[in-house]
Amino acid sequence: MTEAEERWVERARQGDQLAFRRLVEAHARALYTLCARITRDSAMAEDAVQEALFNAYRHLAEFDGRASFKTWLHRIAVNAALEQLRRNSRHQTADTGADSDDSEDFLAQRADDTPGPDRHARGEEIRRRTEEQLSRMSALERTAFVMRHHEGQSLEDISAVLSLNTNACKQAIFRAVRKLRGALEPLR
Amino acid sequence: MAPIRDDELILHHYRDGLDGERLAEIDAALAASAELRARRDALVEVLALADDMPEPAPSADFERRLWQQLEPRIAPKRKRDRARAWWSFDFVPRAAWVGAFALVLALGIGFFAGRHSVDETQQANADALASRVLDAYVAEHLRATEGLILTAVNSDAGEPIAGNRELASSLIDSNRLYALAARRAGNARLADFLRQLEPVLLELANQPVPSNVQSTEGLRDYVRKTDLLFQVRAVESKLDPRRT
Repeated sequence: MTEAEERWVERARQGDQLAFRRLVEAHARALYTLCARITRDSAMAEDAVQEALFNAYRHLAEFDGRASFKTWLHRIAVNAALEQLRRNSRHQTADTGADSDDSEDFLAQRADDTPGPDRHARGEEIRRRTEEQLSRMSALERTAFVMRHHEGQSLEDISAVLSLNTNACKQAIFRAVRKLRGALEPLR
Repeated sequence: MAPIRDDELILHHYRDGLDGERLAEIDAALAASAELRARRDALVEVLALADDMPEPAPSADFERRLWQQLEPRIAPKRKRDRARAWWSFDFVPRAAWVGAFALVLALGIGFFAGRHSVDETQQANADALASRVLDAYVAEHLRATEGLILTAVNSDAGEPIAGNRELASSLIDSNRLYALAARRAGNARLADFLRQLEPVLLELANQPVPSNVQSTEGLRDYVRKTDLLFQVRAVESKLDPRRT
């Protein structure tokens, strides 16, 4: 956390609206990206960011500085995004179980598959299939994966935010990676 | 060495969830085995799919729109908490002041009796009177709070909530006074319970007009999860068993 941000947090804590606005402007886009990756929906992501920032404002007094302000804010946003998904349950994928190809080791199959020019030419197709696979993940799998892969959060932190034990958290990430692998399946 | 599973390669990639010894074993195996390196490369290729996706980005005016929606939600809180002292006569509703005056009077009787009378029975009577006065006022306050929450959680449109915003604002001030009076009367439990109600009253007082579905749903969830209405009724009935 920069010195300036530290000052804004302190001033916002004392009710300084302008200081809080600076914090909003500094973090809103990253929060949106996080929430959009979890919800896969722009409107839900925007609502989640708003709720997260409102909750953060209300609980600023509880921010103790042990984690960075960004980390603290992102944890609140993860919960806000999950709350949006719960409220819009139609967006929840029913496919919460294992991947269709749930063999423990799946990477050897990919290792035999050398990327070729055809693959690169079909970048758009891969992206479309990746979108599909990301949507196939359960909210929990996707959230755990986004937090680990994109946000760089530790398994311990992810477990705490998602109220899971570490093993369940690992399993959620493993399932997410297996599903992601499915995006390359049709290209073999 | 135990065979290296794909799941372990995932943890190894993130350098997380494996102990140092296992990480070192996998490092060594990767250096020694082309087959394992191929599996690791396949994993990296799979994970790169996520990185290749376009980063979700909001529209250009996102921050402005966000602030427009946030500002009215946080401004009243700021005003109430800072610009207005809770004890400011201008802002505490008259009813709350009347109630507070009665409480102070009743508590004063108890205090006076305790200091200036040697008669223990008189002291006990004065304490009991002060306690009954407090209980009656708080029970009435809780009835109003219960009605307010019920209206809020049962309304589908914004208008009924909008009508209750003023009431919620006035109840915040009364709630603080009664919590203070309960604390001074030695009833820490009641004081704590009243303090717990404050965030809900603040939420209701600051609901946007018209209220959006999201904030109403959030309140419903909170009331349901905390069993708040049951708790309010339980305290209310304890304070004034004749009315329930």
